[in-house]
Amino acid sequence: MTRYELATRDLTLRYGRTAVIDRLEFSLPVGRVTAIVGPNGCGKSTLLAGLSRLHVPSQGAVLLDGKDIQQLPARELARRLALLPQEATAPEGLTVAELVRFGRQPHQGWLRQWSAEDQHVVREALAAADLTGLAERPLDTLSGGQRQRAWVAMTIAQQTPLLLLDEPTSALDLGHQIEVFELVRRLAADGRTVVMVLHDLASACRYADHLLALHNGQLVAAGPPGEVVTTDLVRHLYGIDCTLITDPATGGLLLSNVRRAVPDT
Amino acid sequence: MLCNAPAESKLRQRTADTQCIDATTITAPAGHWRLAWRTPGSAEPYSLLVDRQALAAVLLLLVALIAASLAYLALGSSPLPLPAVLPALVGRGDMMVVFLVQELRLPRLAAAWLTGAAFGVAGCLMQTLARNRLATPGIIGIDNGATAFAVASVVGLGVSLAPPAMALVGAATAAALTFGLAAGGGTRGYRFIVAGIGVGAVFGAITQLLLAQVHIDTANAAYPWTVGSLNSRPAGAVMLLGIGLAFGLAAALWLTRALALMRFSDAVASGLGLRITQRRWQVLGVSVLLTGLAVAAAGPVGLVGLIGPEIARSLSSPRGVPIMASALSGALVMVLADLAGRMLLSPIEIPVGIVTAVVGGPWLLWILLRPASRNLA
Repeated sequence: MTRYELATRDLTLRYGRTAVIDRLEFSLPVGRVTAIVGPNGCGKSTLLAGLSRLHVPSQGAVLLDGKDIQQLPARELARRLALLPQEATAPEGLTVAELVRFGRQPHQGWLRQWSAEDQHVVREALAAADLTGLAERPLDTLSGGQRQRAWVAMTIAQQTPLLLLDEPTSALDLGHQIEVFELVRRLAADGRTVVMVLHDLASACRYADHLLALHNGQLVAAGPPGEVVTTDLVRHLYGIDCTLITDPATGGLLLSNVRRAVPDT
Repeated sequence: MLCNAPAESKLRQRTADTQCIDATTITAPAGHWRLAWRTPGSAEPYSLLVDRQALAAVLLLLVALIAASLAYLALGSSPLPLPAVLPALVGRGDMMVVFLVQELRLPRLAAAWLTGAAFGVAGCLMQTLARNRLATPGIIGIDNGATAFAVASVVGLGVSLAPPAMALVGAATAAALTFGLAAGGGTRGYRFIVAGIGVGAVFGAITQLLLAQVHIDTANAAYPWTVGSLNSRPAGAVMLLGIGLAFGLAAALWLTRALALMRFSDAVASGLGLRITQRRWQVLGVSVLLTGLAVAAAGPVGLVGLIGPEIARSLSSPRGVPIMASALSGALVMVLADLAGRMLLSPIEIPVGIVTAVVGGPWLLWILLRPASRNLA
């Protein structure tokens, strides 16, 4: 799969006069899962909107292979970078397969509405998300986890090397969260670069290879969870104290003994 | 062999791999027919998908429209037998019947088709743009804006522009006001609808004010524009509408792929490569154009823009935006409503705008009172 590197240069995103993201510089590891974490209102979702061109930078740029994404044609960008926004809504009555087929839109045209490749990719996307058996079911009859997997399948069908997910598990119970996270891991194993906004640091540590920690629109830490997550960082981000331990089952990082931080005096 | 390779590598090796792609049996997605052909020299075949349910809806509405049109030609203050109507269409048979059909009923039928189709398409476009079934041009004030300007040109405020041109300007003005007032709230949600209702009320009041100030004869001349009637349609306005509809319908059909994406939330649509802002302007422009021209021909019969697309959607599939079906069902509603208006209290005619209001009012209430989950398209 062609490699695309997403990076930012001096990126500033504003709402009105308030800079929500303030002169951020980073690049994302290719073929890995990156989680953007931070407290509510730190600018996580705004950053994701900026990375996917929904939010126009007031300064700086988002670079895809060194090129400013504002300069790319919309369809071209949609073939390189897929986005699953929070609270995505679909027209009433659509089935799973119909939703996933919309992922082919950037590859289709008026005179190229259904090719062998479209068929192949849609089948693969449904299989990857374990939805083959549910393909003809209307979306509104699915469970939350199944529906979220259907949306992810739509972005898979876009066949983009880059996938941006905004809080993909926020409304899901634990079982359904794991369904989605394991799908994300499989996608990264296939060589895709995945970026997801997560508000749950524990899930981020468990499922991401790389963390971007935001606080007040500033990048306060970037790197593998095992290296950057410290009790100081957790306190700085969320105002809580905790004990960090190693998960005996996975070797990953676990937050234990979480409690409200006692202010330093 | 290569058939099992990931699609990405297929993409790259397209030229070498053509036989392999051709060998794959392609089945059309559920509910579709796939038409494919190739021209010499094209690397891959062209393909079209035909949505079977949408096609069936169009054909059904077409048959119903033809049946309603025949009834429209045959029925009236002097009923004609159907066997006499058909030859009269091509100028054969009794002179009186030919005159009645060709000179009186056919032009009015044509006006009903054109205005109904224009309102239907304009309504469907605006509903899709706003992702709200209530957001038809009639409800967000565009009809009233067009009417106020058309009436102003008739009662003459020193403005001698033809009503169609003025109606277009009025439609555009009302649209600009509605969208301007709703700015910040975007085209979504109730802020937009409420702004539109307010704009509509202002233009409605302006129309009444204009009529209250002029001589009764002038007011009478402008009256059809205030209720919506096919009785005194200006020939020039109908002709212009015909040209506008040909263009508007073609543009709307060309936009169907974009419209299908617009039904998703903005972030999803733009993630799938839709140039949202640009497409929105195009959809809005076509909707305003059709509304303005249709109001110039028949006055504000805007509820057709609500009822037409509603019928089209219930017959069509949820996979696409039913532009063609909306045009046909709009025309069907218009033909039936005008026929009813001519027949119910014969020899007195009820203006078509009043008939659609009597039917459309309860329809609107029904939409508002339906369970919330199905309230918004």
